[in-house]
Amino acid sequence: MEIAQDIFVIIPCFNEAAVIRQTVEAVHSEGYSVVVVDDASTDLTTQVLSGLPVYYIKHPINLGQGAAIQTGIDFAKEKGARFFVTFDADGQHEVKDIAQMIKVLIDKEVDIVFGSRFLPGAMTNITPSRNLLLNAGRYLNYFVSGILLSDAHNGIRVFNRRTAENIRIRENRMAHATEFQISVARNQLKYAECPVHIYYNAYSIKKGQRGLASIKILFEIILYKIFR
Amino acid sequence: MSLIQIVLTVFILLIAVYMYRRLRTTIIDLLLILVFAVVGVFFVIFPDTTTEIAHFAGVNRGADMIFYLAILFLLFLVIKLYARLRRLEQHFTEWVRKKSIEEMVKKED
Repeated sequence: MEIAQDIFVIIPCFNEAAVIRQTVEAVHSEGYSVVVVDDASTDLTTQVLSGLPVYYIKHPINLGQGAAIQTGIDFAKEKGARFFVTFDADGQHEVKDIAQMIKVLIDKEVDIVFGSRFLPGAMTNITPSRNLLLNAGRYLNYFVSGILLSDAHNGIRVFNRRTAENIRIRENRMAHATEFQISVARNQLKYAECPVHIYYNAYSIKKGQRGLASIKILFEIILYKIFR
Repeated sequence: MSLIQIVLTVFILLIAVYMYRRLRTTIIDLLLILVFAVVGVFFVIFPDTTTEIAHFAGVNRGADMIFYLAILFLLFLVIKLYARLRRLEQHFTEWVRKKSIEEMVKKED
């Protein structure tokens, strides 16, 4: 197994004080290096995290989740990370999945592993309407990137240095999931998918994106395609 | 000369003077402003000339042709502005990112 410290888990967050400490502690307990990128939270996130042995970067103003992830990647690169993980702050991911995904990355000799809640072996309590939306998203992403994944917008990904050096997230807001796919296709990176667990709870549903956000993402993707 | 012609002529001249005072850089700028102002005023005073050009282009009225061209031009401007806005946002993001990381590294020392 790889040395856990070389695995940098990037957790972007914005006003997640209620759950962030729990998420960060769970990730840290596995020995991974944790990079929390606080996208200018206005709640108690900074205080809640004080005293934890993690890298804590705070944007002075809110830029969006995509921008926060890129900040985390830049920082982890500087720190000499060998493996990079993106991980949502709201507690919907399972920490154990990280090790599984890194195993897939190494065994299959790919550059990036996308988490999927729809592959056999995954566990999720998704609602039918969200299921439909994510399916539409899959095909949209396929249409613009040429890569068809089983899950369009999953926050958990694992990638190696090669990917970190080739990917540059320019979409500051939510279209970055699509941008990941486009970058992978453009740089001819090898990819794989791995089943992961997603737990929707009252908190993550309240904090998470509403269905309407998908329309915003759609426009961001169209503009991205035009103004590259 | 009708009232609208006077209003438009005054406006074109005012914009030209304003542009000149703001830019006042090269002789090219001055020439461009001058050409635009003269052409603009000419079309305002002799609107029938635009109709001749419009007929040549296959449009019925000169005013219609100007209208079509204006829409195209505005669309072009919107796209240019949006592209610029995106660039600006990217530069801004890079700057904020760099500062945040520097701040973090400082705290670590």
